[in-house]
Amino acid sequence: MTLNRRIVQRALLVFVLAAIAAMAFSVMLGDGAFAAQSAALELVDNTGDAVETTDPAAPTPAGTNRVLQVLLQGTIFGLLLALASVGLSLIYGTTGLSNFAHAEQVSFGAVLTYFLTTKEPVGLPFVPVEFTIGIPLVPAALIAIAVSAGTGWLQDRFLWSPLRRRRVAVVQQMIVSIGLSLALLNLLQWWVGGRRLRLTTAIDQRWVLGPVQVGQQGLISAGIAIACLLGVSYFLLKTRLGRATRAVSDNPALASASGIKVASIVRLVWILAAGLAGLGGVLLGLYEQGTAFDAGARLLLLMFAAVTLGGLGHPFGALVGSLVIGIVTEMSSLWLPTDLKIATALVILIGVLLVRPQGILGRAERVG
Amino acid sequence: MDQIVSILVAGGREIFAPTTAAFALAAIGLNFHFGMTGLLNMGHAGFMLLGMYGYAITIREGGPMWLGLIVAVLAAVVFGALLGWPTLKLRGDYLAIVTIAASEFVRFLGRSQALKDLTGGSTGIRGNDFKKPFEALSPFPDRMVQVGPWNIHGSQSSSWWLIVVSWIVVGLFVLLFWRLSRSPWGRVLKGIREDEDAVRSLGKNVYAYKMQALILGGVVGALGGVLWAHANAVQPDSMGRPTTFWIWTLLLLGGAATIWGPVLGSILFWVALVTVRNLAGWLIPESMMTATEREPFSLVLVGVTLMCLVVFRPQGLLGNRRELVING
Amino acid sequence: MAEATSSARAHFENVPHEAGAPKPDPIIKATGVKRRFGGLTAVDVEHLEVQRNAITALIGPNGAGKSTFFNLLTGFDRPQEGEWFFNGYSLQSRSPAQVARAGMVRTFQLTKALSRMTVMENMRLGAAGQRGENLFRALVPPVWRQQEEDITAKAEELLARFKLDTKKDDYAGELSGGQRKLLEMARALMSDPEIVMLDEPMAGVNPALTESLLDHIVQLREEGVTILFVEHDMHMVRRISDWVVVMAEGRIIAEGPPETVMANPAVQDAYLGAHHDTDLFEERK
Repeated sequence: MTLNRRIVQRALLVFVLAAIAAMAFSVMLGDGAFAAQSAALELVDNTGDAVETTDPAAPTPAGTNRVLQVLLQGTIFGLLLALASVGLSLIYGTTGLSNFAHAEQVSFGAVLTYFLTTKEPVGLPFVPVEFTIGIPLVPAALIAIAVSAGTGWLQDRFLWSPLRRRRVAVVQQMIVSIGLSLALLNLLQWWVGGRRLRLTTAIDQRWVLGPVQVGQQGLISAGIAIACLLGVSYFLLKTRLGRATRAVSDNPALASASGIKVASIVRLVWILAAGLAGLGGVLLGLYEQGTAFDAGARLLLLMFAAVTLGGLGHPFGALVGSLVIGIVTEMSSLWLPTDLKIATALVILIGVLLVRPQGILGRAERVG
Repeated sequence: MDQIVSILVAGGREIFAPTTAAFALAAIGLNFHFGMTGLLNMGHAGFMLLGMYGYAITIREGGPMWLGLIVAVLAAVVFGALLGWPTLKLRGDYLAIVTIAASEFVRFLGRSQALKDLTGGSTGIRGNDFKKPFEALSPFPDRMVQVGPWNIHGSQSSSWWLIVVSWIVVGLFVLLFWRLSRSPWGRVLKGIREDEDAVRSLGKNVYAYKMQALILGGVVGALGGVLWAHANAVQPDSMGRPTTFWIWTLLLLGGAATIWGPVLGSILFWVALVTVRNLAGWLIPESMMTATEREPFSLVLVGVTLMCLVVFRPQGLLGNRRELVING
Repeated sequence: MAEATSSARAHFENVPHEAGAPKPDPIIKATGVKRRFGGLTAVDVEHLEVQRNAITALIGPNGAGKSTFFNLLTGFDRPQEGEWFFNGYSLQSRSPAQVARAGMVRTFQLTKALSRMTVMENMRLGAAGQRGENLFRALVPPVWRQQEEDITAKAEELLARFKLDTKKDDYAGELSGGQRKLLEMARALMSDPEIVMLDEPMAGVNPALTESLLDHIVQLREEGVTILFVEHDMHMVRRISDWVVVMAEGRIIAEGPPETVMANPAVQDAYLGAHHDTDLFEERK
């Protein structure tokens, strides 16, 4: 697939619109509170009690060029978001399901890694004993990702394909995913509590690269993300299985008629999506120097924005959309208060649906 | 034995508590959206939040109650119109995503530092700033009043007065829903829920009807928010995504598209939630589940309940299976 | 039946048998209608006039653009170019609901009976002008009760005519496929339309029901309703149509009474060329 000029044009158009919207918004709010903004992002659990934490992803007055710094941060964040979003898009494309529980897949990968690697005592729900596992980070992460991928398999095997076989409508399935999301979110909170969890206690060495500054963990996370995304791209573009996956994601009925075993592809998609989401959760936890039971839940809207922007069902669209969302939300902090970063993504989302609901890469649907 | 009685009493209180009524009212609003018209509004908490902000801010700035209510209603109307304008022409799942995004947006605005002077930021608006006018109207004594096993304040905050008023309001809107669902207007909406193109081919302006349903349901949700705020406070983080999902759960539990579904669902939901929490506290030792873990534990059950409901009994308790099964 | 047919046929006495021929009293006039999908031109109709009070069939091989043209005429799709008039009233940028209110009602290839509503509710929904459909008036029953009774009476009459009266309280989803077709047709008649556009009315209907459907359609014409229908079933086309319009590859390639049109070599080419599965031998019988 070539990077088409039209796609680049459209992506740029979205950037410009988002920038205008962000500026208009900040004018409305009266002031573009800059670096004076305290970088306090509050974690909230269901009872509404706030748990104070710090947000390391806020633009710290580091690096000499604010704009480039934020651009870099946005790109890294966008790459990590892409890991989570590609799966969401593929699930939508192959089965028509908007999976609200995908957020918890992200959180699960991170939380499980914490559970396995932390030197602090941990427990399991109901089990009255605390223990420490303390495996080194890398093996813990690999196990967590493998288990995440396994949960994807489990979900499809025992929940989603039975529902599809019973011809349950997609709307109903969506509500099931909402219930699952609610259950998993609370299960995670029950398991590890509401506080911030550090995946590694190693001090994040900050490197200065010209006008920007970046943490070692951030750089490594970005590197891993790029490698995985390249791997996924290679899979989707060059392998037969990957091409079949794209075919099913594009048009399941047609793919089935061409002899592709749609059910197996869907199973594969679930495994892949859950694994990537888990990986995304771990890397995000490293980049942000901490994670929590609701790390994924806080990303859900950004994921939907990215996937909708890129075109529901188009995996490369999810990649492009994630980068756009990542960069725009980070850059919006140049003008807007940091606690409104996500608001920018929401505005983009609504804007996309207004102007071009099929997203950057999607095709307009035939009417009638 | 005492423990059992106190758990029953606590659970029993949920049957008529103002929060239960507030959620029942919100669910009636959602029933207009989803039950009658098939609209996937995943941001109902946003309507509730706007309603409570509209009312509380007006009262805090010195306005009278009736003005507060008008502002609450107007906020819902504007929000509904803004939401519906681009999305009602699109597919259902787009509306779902946009409504979630929009109501989270409202919550972010509400808790942001920038608007702190208006909305109180993440701490919200305290009861003292807006509850007085309503409490002043109370004919009940200004002290704790014991009725049966329940000792509740006569007029303040979550009071007997609020209980009486909120259930009357719920009753009125149940009546409204009943009246409208049996009317030709309701019939058009049900047709839209089935197949929009068929209804268009019969000469009805589908977009206008959907917008009316969206706004009407939103207004009812906003009023639910005002009721809720009187029993608690105006707090943006209590009106987040989970709240919307609870409303969905209790609506589906009672039976979407039924008249009494929202009320029954709300009562069952809250009684069960509180009872499970209390039972867990009583029966499960601290070592296995600490006090802070009880809430997420009960909510896990809520999530699982929602899943099972949708799969095994989508028509809920009161629904008609023939009318509600949406299989493809 | 024969005299009725011949009086409808009489409209077409002086009409030349060629594509785009003008009709003495056209209810629909369409000119220069083009609909493109990406690079493909699905519809390219230079001129078409549909005669009032007659039964016109729109036929053609698969992919000829018939259903697309239908969607364009009834407002369910927008062409890139073109204009068309209904009783002299332009329908160019009208929504489907507006088209229906103007008196042009359509049915769908995949029947859209509202399954989770009863047959009677389906019928009542088809009525036009029920005041109670307005949100505020709905709150005041006395305003619309009487209308509701009138509508119900009319619905019962139509249902009896289509032999669905015993099913009136059943859910539409419980009816058989053919019964749902009848319901859709009956429902379409509730608003007393001037023209009824039927999109493949015989698709999926068993032969026994086909005859009764055909009779219903002819009776409609007798009552002054114009019919335009898309069909593949040549038997039906020959039986009841007064005029046939043939489309192929988006264009109208022939017009004329059924007998002449079938014998037209261009038409036969279009069907043979597209490997249409009409049994040509049937036509010789």
